[in-house]
Amino acid sequence: MNTFTAPEIDYVAIAPILIVAIAALLSVLTETFLPRSVRRPVQMILTLISLIGALIVLVINRDIRTITGGGAVAIDGPALVLMGTILILALLSAFLVAERSLDSLGDSFAPSAAALPGSVDEREFSARGYFQTEIWTLFLFAVLGMLAFVVANDLLFMFVALEVMSLPLYLMVGMARRRRLLSQEAALKYFVLGAFSSAFFIFGAGLVYGFAGSISLPEINDALASTAGETLLIVIGMAMLLVGLLFKVGAVPFHQWTPDVYQGAPTPITAFMGATVKVAAFGAMMRLLYVAFSGIQWDWEIILWAVSILSMIIGSLIALTQSDVKRMLAYSAIAQSGFILVGVVAASPSGISAVMFYLIAYGLVTVGTLAVISMVRDSTGEATHLSKWAGLGKKSPVLGAVMAVFMLSLAGIPLTSGFVIKFSVFAAGIAEGDTWLVIAAVVASIIAAFFYVRVIVVMFFSAPNENTASVAVPSIFTTITVAATVTATLVLGIIPQPMIDLLTNAGIFIR
Amino acid sequence: MDPIYYIYLATLLFSIGAIGVLVRRNAIIVFMSVELMLNAANLVFVAFARMNGNLDGQTVAFFVMVVAAAEVVVGLAIIVQVFRTRASASIDEPNLLKY
Amino acid sequence: MTVMPAEGLFSLMWLLIALPLAGAAILLFTGRRSNAWGPYLGVLTVSASAVIGVLLLIEMMGLPTEERTITQVAYQWVFIGNFSVDLAFQLDQLSMVFILLITIVGSLIHIYSLGYMAHDPDKRKFFGYLNLFVAAMLLLVMANNYLLLYVGWEGVGVASYLLIGFWQQKRSAAAAAKKAFIINRVGDVGLSLAIMLMFVTFGSVTFSDVFGSATQASEGTLTAIGLLLLLAAAGKSAQFPLQAWLLDAMEGPTPVSALIHAATMVTAGVYLIARSNVIYNNAEIAAMAVIIVALITIFMGAIIGSAKDDIKKALAGSTMSQIGYMMLAVGLGPIGYVFAIFHLLTHGVFKAGLFLGAGSVMHGMNDNVNMRRYGALRSVMVITFITFMAGYLAIIGIPPFSGFWSKDEIIHAAFERGWFIGGAAVLAAGITGFYMTRMVAMTFFGKKRWETDAHPHESPAVMTIPLIILGLGSTFLGMALLFWGDIEAWLEPVVGYESEPTPLPTSAYIGITLAFVIVGSIIGWITYARREVPIEAPQGNWLTRAARKDLYGDAVNHALVVAPTNYAARALVWFDARIVDGFVNGSAAIVGGLSGRMRRTQSGFIRSYALSMVGGAVLVLLALVLVRI
Repeated sequence: MNTFTAPEIDYVAIAPILIVAIAALLSVLTETFLPRSVRRPVQMILTLISLIGALIVLVINRDIRTITGGGAVAIDGPALVLMGTILILALLSAFLVAERSLDSLGDSFAPSAAALPGSVDEREFSARGYFQTEIWTLFLFAVLGMLAFVVANDLLFMFVALEVMSLPLYLMVGMARRRRLLSQEAALKYFVLGAFSSAFFIFGAGLVYGFAGSISLPEINDALASTAGETLLIVIGMAMLLVGLLFKVGAVPFHQWTPDVYQGAPTPITAFMGATVKVAAFGAMMRLLYVAFSGIQWDWEIILWAVSILSMIIGSLIALTQSDVKRMLAYSAIAQSGFILVGVVAASPSGISAVMFYLIAYGLVTVGTLAVISMVRDSTGEATHLSKWAGLGKKSPVLGAVMAVFMLSLAGIPLTSGFVIKFSVFAAGIAEGDTWLVIAAVVASIIAAFFYVRVIVVMFFSAPNENTASVAVPSIFTTITVAATVTATLVLGIIPQPMIDLLTNAGIFIR
Repeated sequence: MDPIYYIYLATLLFSIGAIGVLVRRNAIIVFMSVELMLNAANLVFVAFARMNGNLDGQTVAFFVMVVAAAEVVVGLAIIVQVFRTRASASIDEPNLLKY
Repeated sequence: MTVMPAEGLFSLMWLLIALPLAGAAILLFTGRRSNAWGPYLGVLTVSASAVIGVLLLIEMMGLPTEERTITQVAYQWVFIGNFSVDLAFQLDQLSMVFILLITIVGSLIHIYSLGYMAHDPDKRKFFGYLNLFVAAMLLLVMANNYLLLYVGWEGVGVASYLLIGFWQQKRSAAAAAKKAFIINRVGDVGLSLAIMLMFVTFGSVTFSDVFGSATQASEGTLTAIGLLLLLAAAGKSAQFPLQAWLLDAMEGPTPVSALIHAATMVTAGVYLIARSNVIYNNAEIAAMAVIIVALITIFMGAIIGSAKDDIKKALAGSTMSQIGYMMLAVGLGPIGYVFAIFHLLTHGVFKAGLFLGAGSVMHGMNDNVNMRRYGALRSVMVITFITFMAGYLAIIGIPPFSGFWSKDEIIHAAFERGWFIGGAAVLAAGITGFYMTRMVAMTFFGKKRWETDAHPHESPAVMTIPLIILGLGSTFLGMALLFWGDIEAWLEPVVGYESEPTPLPTSAYIGITLAFVIVGSIIGWITYARREVPIEAPQGNWLTRAARKDLYGDAVNHALVVAPTNYAARALVWFDARIVDGFVNGSAAIVGGLSGRMRRTQSGFIRSYALSMVGGAVLVLLALVLVRI
């Protein structure tokens, strides 16, 4: 009988992921065995502690650079940075999920997602004061998937991580307490299209495997290097993998789900997915392209060039005429994906650190903006129509000022993080000779400034009228999120250098 | 035998699945079409696994099946919920969110 | 030119900006409770900056000429790879004169505003915005690189926008603010593209690097940069074809019009081009474009100024026209740069005086701006009248008032380039005489045409003292700068100066110009002082009617800028909603062989999204495959 050799797994290196995984499993048990009354606090504490714990372990682990788990997991600079980003953004979004004082009915989630909208059951559940707690379990699994996504070093692990990330999100999108028809519709759209894009991803993975004879990213690279000539199979496979990833980041022409899902989802979930999915998907995309496909760089650069320009221009232009704030942010997210792609195309260490900086700063702004949106309410819940924001800056100057900071940052105005990140990706693009791409990006960012500034104009330069929404008083949770994100946005805009230095040192993918 | 025929078959299945998503209105059938696309991918993996002589591809196929099962759980939950709300499984029916 | 590090007194130069910025921060964040003392704080910070400015000037005059360019790196802001952006200032002769203009005129206008805004419930905000403006404007002229200049450029834009819309309850003010913002964005596109192009070409955006290697770049690149900078300058300085916002900007409080829309911000375009002189010296086409834009604007402004009955709008037209002169001078190249700045300084002072005078008149006339309801005010508002006359004589260019010296030099320089440009400049000087005489005649002379409830009176001392100072400036500044300050020698190291021979002696050009001005003034006097001015505006000829409508600047801007943007956005949404979906459904039906049923079905959005994805994927794959075949 052969001796059994255990695979070598560096448990310390993957400890942050394990912590979240264990918490997610505990969360399932909590849901199963604990009585309803204690579930919510237990779930909340479990989530917050596991996220913070994972973050602490990550900081302790900051110098680890290794490939482990039989080559399936790569812990390197970008992986650590992106995991940290995901954990921080998830933590800030978790506060929004925990918020209960904004809505007179409780939190943002349907007490029972299974009950029909407007049914007797639903009223009954509301009246009894039931709260949804499964959302926390789903939340933890989604975070787990994202963490795994950015460290995945083979196509199988990447695919499984992609699904672990996406499946909980599909469900969470459909759980809004109010406007449930919209929410369910968003969930259906996200699910069908997401599953569709996953199919592209895995089919592409199959073709790449056929070419390389391996699913490990470094080995794919080796196979590419050793094969001269015929590369059509792997190029097609690579393109289909990219379709799956570009769908997740909402890049044109794979973007059409974005506005519907952003608008329909409960706002805390929009914040969560809007910020973290981008981080995870761009992280995976960079690893895939730089580690596995550097041999066919020319092919994917062409694709990303086109997708980047289309996303920037189309996202910005359509956002100009949006009247719903959440929907406008969704189109803005499409455009921002285009800007990030400028850095991805640059494919240099400075490009990688620029993209990571972009993801961090953009994620913070996204969470912050949606936190602000969740506070602006009228009698029917959140007031996302822009006309209801008229004069809001006069009614509550602090909220108006915070929102203005976020909008200026998204528009890329100096002294906010938005300027620094745009500058860094553009600089990376120019250094690599992508001059025309950068010029297109500049033009798009100028168009984009119009609709961001329009929000400020509406808030501060229109008189409040009877339709103007009011600002609900948040509990400590949302306050922490808003304060943290606005501070970070300003600090990263005024003293960006420490962050730039940190990321410059972390800008190398290991093979 | 050249594995290319397996790839042709897989591509055909994938295309049938994709077209199914595009043309069918019943959410369940759309969903089944997606599953067909996943299985097309499985065929690619096992065919290449045999060609390459390693087991990676077969392992992947098993994982894809598991993932597909998980997707069924989530997908059916959403579809059933939409069906109960709207009394219709048509994928064209929910179109409140647009423009 | 050697660039010196900031030492001694010069290490304080960051305070110039920091003081008003701190003032703005305090005023805007303390809320209502600072209403009582806030305005005084606002005055204090700007005056302190002015004092520092004067001290720095004295210090700089003590330095040898080649050591007068001083830089200070206040903070290394972003540093990525080979690219860096620093918060660094450059103080040289050019920025020095701007600093003095901004802080001194700024202080006077702050003081004036103490009286003018005394009863406004939000006056602390007003002073906060004014402080913010001064800080941003100083940043603009003190930056040592184009990016920081851009920050200041946007900053003055924002402050201007806030100040134009300060009286938001006035619908027209809010609309004007929006318009100023949109048109300025068009100019800003030019500036950001120019900066990007410099970055691409030179790998740096600091002045010293760009100008140092400018001659190595191709002329095409320099022309492109020059034209883009001209677009930016046209937006900020209200030059054709981006001039329409300035007239509407008069909806803001009058001190704002004086500070921002006459003396300082609108001259930022002139500063930008003068600062970038190395680029224009090497790009003839761009320089020629500057001249053309300037000539068109000189006449547009003059014609608009001749037709408006609103005193502030008439002055705004005149501002456009005078800035046109400055642009003309910078377009002329080394023969004109110093005179452009010279005229900019004298104009800043006398136009501020004229605007504040107009504000004083309005203050006494219940904020009525219609000159047809003025008349015979010279006896009731003596100080305002005298100071206004000083500004009047300065702007039309009567010796020895300050405008004479600067405008005459520009006209002379224009003749050095060619008789056509010079002739146009002289003709416009004649029109200046006409419309300014018209304004003075309608306001201070003739019969009383007051509203029944108007009780004109002289303004309080806090308003008249700035008027007097500016009036003295209008009278003597030109001579002082030319003979005592030796402005040509002062600016020459930065912008260069040379002179070309002209066919006639200098005195001949002075004579011709004066003749035109006097003829224009006499026509104005005969039309508006000797004859009765009707209270209702007569219909006028086609030119007057066109001029009252700002020469259809709005219509042009709307057609060129606003409408296409709106249409593009709308078309895209429409395209997304109709064409894409329609096409998608149609082709889906053909693919599935279900055409009849599908076409009648309401379009299913999920599926069209899916088709867009498939379409994208197919395109990508086709492209990759085709490239290989």
